[in-house]
Amino acid sequence: MDAREEEDLQLMSRVATRDGVAFTRLFELHAPITLGLLSRILARRMEAEEVLQEVFLQIWTQADRYDASRSTPRGWILMLARSRALDRLRRRDASRRREEVVGGEQAAAVPPVGTARIESAERQTQVASALKGLSPDQRRCIELAFFEGLTHTQIAERLEAPLGTVKSRILLGMNKLRQTLSAPLR
Amino acid sequence: MSDSPHSSRFEELLPAYALSALDAAELREMEEHLAGCEECHRQLRLWNLDLESLAASVEPVAPSETTRARILRLAGGGTAPAVPPRRLPGWALFAAAALLAVAVWGVAGQLRLQGVLERLTAERDRLASQVESLNRDVAQARDEARRTGQALQVVADREVRTVTLAGLEAAPRASGHTYVSPRSRGALFYAHDLPALPSGKTYELWYIAGGKAVAAGTFSVDPQGMGNVKVENVPDVASIQAWAVTIEPAGGVPQPTGAMVLKG
Repeated sequence: MDAREEEDLQLMSRVATRDGVAFTRLFELHAPITLGLLSRILARRMEAEEVLQEVFLQIWTQADRYDASRSTPRGWILMLARSRALDRLRRRDASRRREEVVGGEQAAAVPPVGTARIESAERQTQVASALKGLSPDQRRCIELAFFEGLTHTQIAERLEAPLGTVKSRILLGMNKLRQTLSAPLR
Repeated sequence: MSDSPHSSRFEELLPAYALSALDAAELREMEEHLAGCEECHRQLRLWNLDLESLAASVEPVAPSETTRARILRLAGGGTAPAVPPRRLPGWALFAAAALLAVAVWGVAGQLRLQGVLERLTAERDRLASQVESLNRDVAQARDEARRTGQALQVVADREVRTVTLAGLEAAPRASGHTYVSPRSRGALFYAHDLPALPSGKTYELWYIAGGKAVAAGTFSVDPQGMGNVKVENVPDVASIQAWAVTIEPAGGVPQPTGAMVLKG
């Protein structure tokens, strides 16, 4: 467990007791990357900010439900955000969303300040490197599953590929990611 | 507990499970197995860490000040770092200007209404005064009509007796007439060219019957020297020996004390 995760765990414990200072610190540490993930999934800045509010409201009210044996605090926050964003995405008309993305409403990334930016840059480099090790088909399948919430069958339909092929691409791609990602990221 | 033992098949399903990419049948199968498999839980945590890295690899985006303030207000606001002041956006200035205009319009409207209200109040008071004056005129007209009616009743009596009064030394140009109606037992007295009296004095009409002076009423005169008295319950005309007018203290007296100005 690194120092960052240790601080996160302490903050989560304090937020569970309704410590406003701890909540503020948790927000400053994780809001930029969470909003980045929401913007990537939803492709709409305003909607992403709405979901960000929902996510942090959930953190404020349900921090006592966080289970450290299942995920890190950051992982819990990001997966809460991903889950809520995918719920929103599923409610949208898929064709409309594609048009909007092409239309340029893609959220403009705003550089965050402080350590979050440095850590983010490092992670981006490492994950980008790991993703480069994947074949384009493997990367595409993983991105469709992770950022668009599609299942094996839906990915196969989207890519017009056999179901077994999609399953293999995801399995092989995830294993390759595992091998490439370095320990400091954990 | 899961009935299915840990196997490579479940290990292969785990990455897709972590991605939420499993279809319904495989998802159900995986969840049933996970309920009792510690090894799969351990591996799932590792897959989740990989996905956390994937999620955190996106470009960070700084939340807007509005979103930040809203979220931190959840935790009481006071504990959050202060949000730096910033210039109002154009729409906010426009909205503020619109609100100000509405407020000014509202105040101006109120002043206009207040002016209208004051004018209406003044008009109401003026009309009320007019009505009061008209009521007085009507009452006066009714009184005059009533007196005229009574006078006509007196003079219309075909047995009416007329007595002429002549001015004496104190008012030699003055004259007077008394009309007595035996039927109604009423009398009307009219005086002409009597001089105006000083304050505290009044003219008083008398009739003499049985050698005694009986007070018949007081009166004043107008600028032309005219005055009149209506007398009721006049006794039998034959018993009245004379009519006279004297100058008496204001309010009248039961018996004559002042100078006589008319007699007939």
